[in-house]
Amino acid sequence: MIAMDDLRKVFTSGRGRQARSVVAVDGMTLHARDGVITGLLGPNGAGKTTSLRMLVGLVSPDSGSIRVDGIDMRDDPQGVRSRLGVLSDARGLYPRLTARENIVYHGRLHGVANDEAQARCEHLARLLEMTPLLDRRTDGFSQGERMKTALARALVHDPANIVLDEPTNGLDVVATRALREALRVLRDETGKCIVFSTHIMQEVERLCDRVVVVSQGRHVADGTVASLCAQAGCDDFEDAFVRLAFAAEGPRP
Amino acid sequence: MIAWRAMGTVFVKELKDALRDRRTLMAVFVSSVALGPLMLVGLSQLVGSYEKRAEARTIVAIGLDAAPTLRNYIERQTYIVRQPPADWEARLRDSKLGDPVMVVPADFEDALAHGQAPRVQLVYSSANGRAQGGVRAVEGLLQGFDQEQAGLRLIARGVAPGTLDVSRLDEHDIADSASRAAQLTGMVPIFVLMAILYGSLNAAMDTTAGERERGSLEPLLATPASRAAIVIGKWGAAFALGLLIAVLSCLSFLPAQSLLRSESLAALFRFGWVEAACFIGLLAPFAAALSALMMAVAIRCKTVKEAQASNVVLTMAVSMTPMVILFNQEGESPWNLWVPPLAQTTLMNRVLKNAPIGALDVAPSLLVCILLTVAALAFVSRQLTRRAAQ
Repeated sequence: MIAMDDLRKVFTSGRGRQARSVVAVDGMTLHARDGVITGLLGPNGAGKTTSLRMLVGLVSPDSGSIRVDGIDMRDDPQGVRSRLGVLSDARGLYPRLTARENIVYHGRLHGVANDEAQARCEHLARLLEMTPLLDRRTDGFSQGERMKTALARALVHDPANIVLDEPTNGLDVVATRALREALRVLRDETGKCIVFSTHIMQEVERLCDRVVVVSQGRHVADGTVASLCAQAGCDDFEDAFVRLAFAAEGPRP
Repeated sequence: MIAWRAMGTVFVKELKDALRDRRTLMAVFVSSVALGPLMLVGLSQLVGSYEKRAEARTIVAIGLDAAPTLRNYIERQTYIVRQPPADWEARLRDSKLGDPVMVVPADFEDALAHGQAPRVQLVYSSANGRAQGGVRAVEGLLQGFDQEQAGLRLIARGVAPGTLDVSRLDEHDIADSASRAAQLTGMVPIFVLMAILYGSLNAAMDTTAGERERGSLEPLLATPASRAAIVIGKWGAAFALGLLIAVLSCLSFLPAQSLLRSESLAALFRFGWVEAACFIGLLAPFAAALSALMMAVAIRCKTVKEAQASNVVLTMAVSMTPMVILFNQEGESPWNLWVPPLAQTTLMNRVLKNAPIGALDVAPSLLVCILLTVAALAFVSRQLTRRAAQ
């Protein structure tokens, strides 16, 4: 269970009279339940990545609170991180290590014993259909192979909560479908809490049980795809999203 | 997770990662481990060739047939007289002829007999190092001839030859053999310092700027491992690699001694297991501080290329600071022991000279290195999260 309440973050660059402030997140609220895939949907620059970075502790919020499985980020940031599996937009691998070594390394840093990390690595490789890749160095991996390895790395410690930041960026249709299927398995068979950040409508429609719409750093609306369409008075989800996300900015074509 | 276990995991991973970078390792090995002994062997060949020439006792001369007195003197000194090739001037200029050429005028004997000073020419090229090296030997030979002739003239006039000797100079060199040897072994500390620099540099940059460049820092910081544990693990790997290359560099001078072509050089070159062990002990704190400083410089950079450019200042400082010893003619100053790597170079030179080193000599640089290491690692730890999100 992930609960982010009324988060606010302002970035300031420059000093003195040259200082310029940008409000990245302004009152962001997101509650994601276990066994549910929650989509974080917003246009580019809406504050999705900043919100997820605050959830992981890479960026400190100016105000608001973050709780993961009841643990407050301010009290126990390491406890929060140990309960999260994060596939961020930066998913770099170590090119001189094999896929297995990349995955097990993160497992060990999550406190998983070596044998258990190896077993989890094998299990995830079967789930993500990447067993033949395991003992190859990641240098020269395709985008899809890199994504699978990064996802296995994020899940190696069997976290209760999974956070994916635009995971289908750069993936082809086959890899995108494989990822969607893997996430459904994780939701249905293990009851994980999954937060899925994206700006692609079709992914949200096909995968998410609940959707949180954000715009200009703010929580704008949330509910199922159908309820959001009803709320916006549109049949098409894309039209509903545009109406909800850009309502504050005035009408859009 | 227990911090030391995270530290160990990061350390092992970084070490494994660095050791798999064979191309970089090979370049470091050649530049830092093989280069010193190769230069030593090259130097010994040069000195060996000088010694060989000195042993050969040959003099290259033109017109010596017209000067039987001089020829007689030279041959009595067991020198062998050789005629130069026809194109000797061109060969001297091109460094193909390795001896200066003595040109004796045709009227040498006649002028000598009439008490005039015949003019002998000694032709050499100052651009030809080998030929210039032989000039002193010929000068010494002619001075000896002059003294002998002058002595004979004084005796013929009933004057004791010693009349001209107003005073005598007895040279007495108080340097012991270890100090004399240090003039040659003085190159070893500089090579070993550079070995640490090149050994640590790539690991320090790859574990910081490299992580940022390939986008692996953010996932790393999403783990519950503490920032301090991650930084210490990474620093441990960079430090270990720097020290490993330094150890290999020190040890490479041990077998290199058996390859020395010059016997006198081999006798002078005193670098054994004890000296190597002392070097490593003195260099360990410096390797720790240097790898931490290089990480602190690199963590602010987004790419390894940018980190390389930023680390140039540090690289220059490490390579140029020991030069202070070469330029300072007034000997060691107390402040030298407070400035790494000047302190390390000074202390390593003392090891080579077999001079005593006390705890108070080592303490200043040890303290400075510890402070630098702690400050640099604290800086990297603080910057890690900030830079990951940029």
